[in-house]
Amino acid sequence: MPRPIPVPDATSKPFWDACNEKRLIVQHCTYCDRKQFPPEPECRECGWHFHLSWLETSGRGTIVGYSVTYESRIQAWHPEQPFNNVIIALEEDPVINFHSNLPGVPVDEVPVGATVEVEFLEVTDGQLIPEWRVVS
Amino acid sequence: MAKETGWERNSDPLGIWEHRGKVAMVGRGHSTTDRRWDGESMDKTLGAYSLVAAQNAMEDAGISPDEVDGIISSAGGQANGQPLGEVWAPRPYFDPPYDSEDGLSHVTAEWLAKQLDLKNVTYMNSHGDTVWNLIGQAAQAIGDGRATVCLVTYPNGNMAGRYHQESSLEASGNAQWSSPWGWGLSGQGFTFDQYCRKYGSNHDRMAPFIVQEHKNGRLWPYSYYALHEPEPFTEEDYLNGRMIAKGLSIFDCDRPVQAAACYVVTTAERAKDMKQKPVYILDHTESAFRPRSLVQTLDDTEEWTDIQAKRAYAGSGLTPDDIDLFSPYDGFAVFTQYFLEAFEWRGVKRGDAHDFYAGDISLEGPNPLNAGGGNMGTGRMRTVFITDSMEQLQGRAGPRQVKGKAEIAVTIGVLPGNAGCLVFSSTPD
Amino acid sequence: MAHIDEYIEKRTVTMAILLSFDIDGTLEFGEPPGGVTKEMVQRAHDLGFIVGSCSDRALSSQRAIWKQLDVPFAFVKAKHQLGTVKGEFPADAYYHIGDRDTDVQVAEQAEFGFWWDHEAVSEPWLDL
Ligand SMILES: [Zn+2]
Repeated sequence: MPRPIPVPDATSKPFWDACNEKRLIVQHCTYCDRKQFPPEPECRECGWHFHLSWLETSGRGTIVGYSVTYESRIQAWHPEQPFNNVIIALEEDPVINFHSNLPGVPVDEVPVGATVEVEFLEVTDGQLIPEWRVVS
Repeated sequence: MAKETGWERNSDPLGIWEHRGKVAMVGRGHSTTDRRWDGESMDKTLGAYSLVAAQNAMEDAGISPDEVDGIISSAGGQANGQPLGEVWAPRPYFDPPYDSEDGLSHVTAEWLAKQLDLKNVTYMNSHGDTVWNLIGQAAQAIGDGRATVCLVTYPNGNMAGRYHQESSLEASGNAQWSSPWGWGLSGQGFTFDQYCRKYGSNHDRMAPFIVQEHKNGRLWPYSYYALHEPEPFTEEDYLNGRMIAKGLSIFDCDRPVQAAACYVVTTAERAKDMKQKPVYILDHTESAFRPRSLVQTLDDTEEWTDIQAKRAYAGSGLTPDDIDLFSPYDGFAVFTQYFLEAFEWRGVKRGDAHDFYAGDISLEGPNPLNAGGGNMGTGRMRTVFITDSMEQLQGRAGPRQVKGKAEIAVTIGVLPGNAGCLVFSSTPD
Repeated sequence: MAHIDEYIEKRTVTMAILLSFDIDGTLEFGEPPGGVTKEMVQRAHDLGFIVGSCSDRALSSQRAIWKQLDVPFAFVKAKHQLGTVKGEFPADAYYHIGDRDTDVQVAEQAEFGFWWDHEAVSEPWLDL
């Protein structure tokens, strides 16, 4: 199905470029030793931008909860209804979350607490987005 | 007029509000409530309804337009100044005063002053925020002496057609982090899922609360339901609601409507000479938060609402036991429990809200939660929270008048992540 | 309406047909009002069609609409429950009439035939 495609901006471009290389990265403030996602122009803690760098993650996480969308406001998603909306917490820093639809997992049968691993899904020519699959 | 900044009371630790009890709400006025604007009836536009509301509010307070020296309006109804409903463009505009969005999808203070021919207005603000924040801002402006008699208007529009549909395939800005996965109202479903897992509850346990809100709302003459769907809303109705997202049925989402309200806010001194019993403002506090990461988690929600409660109690000098009427926002219905538990009204602690709902929350009982019926019982106009709090304290809530004491009322809205909280009292101290 | 009187005279009901009406945007008493009138629904009922509603309105509110229509109804259902009428009302054919994508979707899921509100004003069920 044609789904909404992320449009990278100056701040997010490194993230989306990394996805295209099948790497999942998040911002890291070396001053605060703090991870940040989604990316922002500055560190939300110290307010500086020049301590921010990009850090490759483990690509592993845990399912912390979910919902199911029965009626989306996003028209492109209507043919997929109902579908899972799952929230993943990053293994090395559970404050950091990612979205997933958990492809292959039946609607409303999401194993909360399970370990997941990132994979990448091509949503349009040349753009991958992070997706996740259950490993245990 | 430039956007006024820095008026919010949001830096911790907060002390007692410097104008506690020195500002009062006196009059309130409403338009009727429609499901939507038909795009043709010029006497039913958001602007027309705002004028009706303002005239009703002035009449209610017993003041003439010449006494008004301040207007605060929400440009649209949302915190970002955007209209709550859709905009009229690209459809063609009409003859003045409907030759722009102003008066159609939003209503500025400037538009109102001109249409009402208010000659003595020196303070105008179309800041653009929800009604709690607007009243907080009016209270601060009056306390600080920037205005003496202030109209606060809050329009809420709904155009013909579907509400907030997204057709673009390009996910830019914030949408790049959510739309590729179809994330939307599922956000509230997710937080609620976390809540239910943590505290062992489920969606259906919301039923007594929603049914009670509908019951209360049927008793408010401006409620969409009182006007258009007066038959009682039952538990059977709630439990058969179609799910929009898991944990969130159509009966947990407020119904968009077209309506406007207006309030007269003034000094406690001036209020004494007006037609209605003054409702004194003991405190206003504001707060805005952002999720730690991608989405609003239950942890975020509980942290934010805890801070909101702490601010309100510190700013007013009150404790949970002092509150007779508590009206936390409910549009989405799941919000109410987060606010209720944070404020610990009637001793409700984290995870207890649904047990509390199962008890007596009726108007006759000791725990009249959302006595006005909230958005669920009245439609998406958000103003019953203010109007009902006022009327209860003034003793003129009619069939909704609670049986118990009605001296202190607290209301908070709209989002756990972005809210204004108001503390009202029937006496200045 | 002459052709309809003629039709009614000639008609012999040989099949049980169930018609499910959405309310808002479909029936004349909906909000917004739709094109399907009380007369059309009444006629369908009188001709032996099984009629009811399936809408996002609360069930109580749907019953109130039927009271307003003053037509005996067989069922009221929330939109996502359309399929359940099949178990309750055996019929040879099932149709849903509505004005939104959601209506199409629930009709497909429940394996009902579907007419848009604007198609329904010509009472296509009379040709079945
Ligand atoms: Zn930092």
